Amino acid sequence: MPELYNDYFGEFGGRYVAEVLRPALDELESAFKNSMREPAFAAEFDEIASTFVGRPTPLLHASNASRALGGAQIYIKLEGLANTGAHKINNAVGQALLARQMGKTRIIAETGAGQHGVATAAVCAKLGLNCRIYMGEIDIARQRPNVFWMELFGAEVVPVTTGARTLKDAVNEALRDWAASFPDTHYIIGSALGPSPYPDMVREFQSVIGRETVMQTTQRGLDVVALIACVGGGSNAIGFFYPYLDLPSPALIGVEAGGTGTETGLHAARMTGEGRPGIVHGYKSLFLVDDDGQVEDTHSISAGLDYPGIGPQLASLGATHRVEFTRATDRESLDALRFFARNEGVVFALESAHAAAEAIKRAPNYPAETAIIVNMSGRGDKDLFITARALEPERWREFLLSEVSGIEHDLSRADAALAAAEENR
Amino acid sequence: MSDKARIMAHIVPYYPDKERSWDAARALIDAGVAYLEVQFPYSDPSADGPVIEAACSSVLRNGFRSRDGFEFVREITRYSPVPVYIMTYAGMVFAPGVESFVAAVKAAGATGLIVPDLPVDYDEGVYAAGAAHELDIVPVVVSGSPVNRLDATRARKPSSVYAALRRGITGAQTAIDQETLEFLRSISSWGVRVYGGFGIRTPEQVAAVAEHVDAVVVGTAFVSTITCAVETGSSVYDAVRSFAASLVNCTE
Repeated sequence: MPELYNDYFGEFGGRYVAEVLRPALDELESAFKNSMREPAFAAEFDEIASTFVGRPTPLLHASNASRALGGAQIYIKLEGLANTGAHKINNAVGQALLARQMGKTRIIAETGAGQHGVATAAVCAKLGLNCRIYMGEIDIARQRPNVFWMELFGAEVVPVTTGARTLKDAVNEALRDWAASFPDTHYIIGSALGPSPYPDMVREFQSVIGRETVMQTTQRGLDVVALIACVGGGSNAIGFFYPYLDLPSPALIGVEAGGTGTETGLHAARMTGEGRPGIVHGYKSLFLVDDDGQVEDTHSISAGLDYPGIGPQLASLGATHRVEFTRATDRESLDALRFFARNEGVVFALESAHAAAEAIKRAPNYPAETAIIVNMSGRGDKDLFITARALEPERWREFLLSEVSGIEHDLSRADAALAAAEENR
Repeated sequence: MSDKARIMAHIVPYYPDKERSWDAARALIDAGVAYLEVQFPYSDPSADGPVIEAACSSVLRNGFRSRDGFEFVREITRYSPVPVYIMTYAGMVFAPGVESFVAAVKAAGATGLIVPDLPVDYDEGVYAAGAAHELDIVPVVVSGSPVNRLDATRARKPSSVYAALRRGITGAQTAIDQETLEFLRSISSWGVRVYGGFGIRTPEQVAAVAEHVDAVVVGTAFVSTITCAVETGSSVYDAVRSFAASLVNCTE
């Protein structure tokens, strides 16, 4: 029986934070342990999961794709059909319920691409909690649509102007807020990483993906030979793999961002050679850091995988070889996205498309009566601006230009109406 | 008791550049500060205020390496007997191996090491390494911390303790209230040297705290002084020296 609270996973994990944050984490640890033992808490989570999140998410037999590739039957866990479009909402719901139980009235969160921010903002709207999202100024400029959703849900999106003005700086800013505000505020970290108890807690809330997968594959009598998930921080992967960790099979495969090449700064792959042990953002794990421990630049077409660290439990599972890691490039992920859209009528998020790319490579190696399960952790609607720009730049450009001129037309008419109203006064 | 305040002055090596950070260090020493706290810039600081973080980011953009920091400290310790503490984050201490990092701190002539995100119960062996190298490993405690945290820190038997005088992060104004003074008194009762700071920026604040601690830590205010001198094109040495002197002489 796996432990609810581990703190360390092999050599990785821990709680490397300044004393100022320590009471907040100690309080969270005991609230987490208590709540997970309470049937009422689980019942509340299940209720929201079914009526608000849309669980269970379906398991799709990708029969056309499987036929086209030959080999194992590919199944897709359609986690992206969850409300707000990705698995992120599972953790946001769990932590927000926990926060409410702890008597916190205010939620803060960091977000990079915005998916975790959108999920958190939506849950806060639903549960009536104040919500502030920290987001790097550069990410805000790149991800305007998600900022729009967060604000629509009533969250305050605060631009972070320090450091590189991206995700890691948003984490620092959220920690700074929390250090002063934790008596009434909970910080919802979006992945299975950070100081303990976050890696354990986020995994618990995401393990609903794995539990449903066990049930759905058992009901259909599938001979599952492999589970494949993309890995940024790794919350979808650890939740998906969790029920299988103590079993010798199926193969568990984590796919990292291969980006555009293997040189530093062109990818975000930590588990296939480049990652080194480090301590960053309050936990020990494998990171893309230099000899001095300074965090290096990363790249991925998918913002959700563009992070220098991996959750400590996955790092440990890599060290013990229970989880096998590989990578997919930006190009392979786009190709996989197109392949499954055409064959199955589903659009993978660019993150999850990395897992889809691995399924395409691997399916032909297995007999037709076996099954590979791919976690589509998010759906691709959110990536419209990136995908369309990459796949058909000319037509997308024309569309955007016509949008701009439409907006300018609206604004100038509004100005004219205003001027006329002033004159008539 | 001296009529001058004992100040632990924080400095970022290579900020704004190598030469002027050396000027700033000399200015602090010449003004009579009691200790220097040299912060090695780190890419992902979790406990820096925006002013220090911005200074550190600019130094990192210019290619700062740990060995540059050790070289800077070596120059200071050759120049002056003023004790130097190196402050940085766990990521930088852990990367070369805690033992190697501690050895390098010692070799640079520093007196001690402050790593806020290596708390006493997740210390990666830094206290043992410090004992082996006769280096003062300085835990950071916070005003308002629960008793169990203070007890855990005290159990490490440190010789010095860095006392953060408010919840939260460096830089904002700190009020010296009764609770803060109580806190300082309780830490002092451990029989340790107490370096107290966070948010101290005026001679009045220094005067209020000075008699309760071994040294008053001033950080953000010095970085702001340097930034301001750079922006107005005036001498970093002069600006830092005169500000430091105003703090050192606050009790006169």
